[in-house]
This record gives sequence, C-alpha cells and structure tokens, in this order.
Amino acid sequence: MINQELELLENFERDSKWFHDNIEKLREQSFTGKFVAVSNGKTIASDENIDMVIKTIEKEGKNPAHIFIEFVYPKGFTLLL
Amino acid sequence: MIIPLQVRDFAGGLRAMASFLIQSEKPHIFGLIESIVDTGSPTTILGMSDIKRMRVSQLQLRDIESRKEPHAYGGGRLKTKILRGAKLKFGEYFDCIMDVEIPVQEITELNTQPTIIGVDFMEKNKLKLIFDPAKKEAYFETSE
Repeated sequence: MINQELELLENFERDSKWFHDNIEKLREQSFTGKFVAVSNGKTIASDENIDMVIKTIEKEGKNPAHIFIEFVYPKGFTLLL
Repeated sequence: MIIPLQVRDFAGGLRAMASFLIQSEKPHIFGLIESIVDTGSPTTILGMSDIKRMRVSQLQLRDIESRKEPHAYGGGRLKTKILRGAKLKFGEYFDCIMDVEIPVQEITELNTQPTIIGVDFMEKNKLKLIFDPAKKEAYFETSE
C-alpha cells in the first residue's frame, strides 16, 4: 500500500473511531436515524437520506468515497445480519 | 501473519470490524469502507450506502454479471451483481484480489445495511478469525 493510500485509510479509521466513541453524544444531538459524515473528528454533513449527505460532501469539494459516513441507529436497536 | 480488527459496539452489540480500501477498474472504484466481519454470511457483499459513496451508478452496473440466484434477505429477495477481481487492501498488513457482490435493488431498508466481510474472504485467503468479545480483541490469522 502506497503512503497516500495508507494516509487515507488512517484518516478514515480515525474518523470511524471518533464516530463510535461519540455515538451517544450524536444521539443526544438528534442525529438518530440519520447518516452522519465525519471528517477530522467532526460532523460535516447529516441527513436521513444518504444521497443528500453525499451531495453536501461533494459541494464542499470532498470525495465521499474517502469520507467516513455511518448511520446512527437508535439506542437499543439491534441489527441482525 | 495477523490482520488486526476493531471490536466495536455497533447497532446493538459487539462486532469485529475491518476498514479497507477497495479498488476496481470496471466500474472504476477507489474508496474506503468499514465492514462487519460476519461468519454467518457466506459471501462478501458491499453495503448500498458504500456503493453510493463510491458513486457507482446503476448504469455502470448494467454491464456487470448478475448473480444467478437472489439472496434471501429479511423475508424478501435481494438481487446482486458480481464485481470480479476487486482489490481489497487492509493497510500495511494485507491485500487480496477477489470477487465481491453488489446489491442492485434500491430498497430503502437496505440503505443502512453495512458492508459485510463473509466466509468467502476467509476461505480464499486462508484466514481464521480470532474474536474475543470479553477482551474486545479480534484479528485474522493465517490458518496455514
């Protein structure tokens, strides 16, 4: 893996960790039931519709394929795979 | 060889999760994905939201081979396409080339379904999963 790819992955993993560490705060801030985009440890977009989140990210000149986006499930909700 | 995984409390319980970079030439894909390792799933399948993030259009998917039989999913059926020869890179630890499946139906409930690393990934790469929820430790280890 080349350095640029490794850097992208490390940033992505850092934002993933931030999301999971702060999931309760996100719920308190009314993000439940929404997709949340995280970049550099802060939320940069959110919406119930992921297409809207992607559009917002693109408007900011960022590539959504490189941005961590995850759905905030309600507390107590269990996703069975 | 060991590939470290994250153990995260996600969507109702502890999961073994892996982030990786995925690359494909046709359709062009270059992006990052967080996945759940699911030994109950025989196949590796990308989540609909991840497909959307990669900006892969249904038009681009038109020429890709469809899986013959749909998957049973939530009492319904899910049609998928097969992305041949995708490259999956797990940081500095490991990379591989394998087929992954892509959902092609736009079902609202599926938009939140995460990407799943299935048993096919472990079989192809001869990896076993070590998962200790009590210690919150998880990793893939070469089984040879």
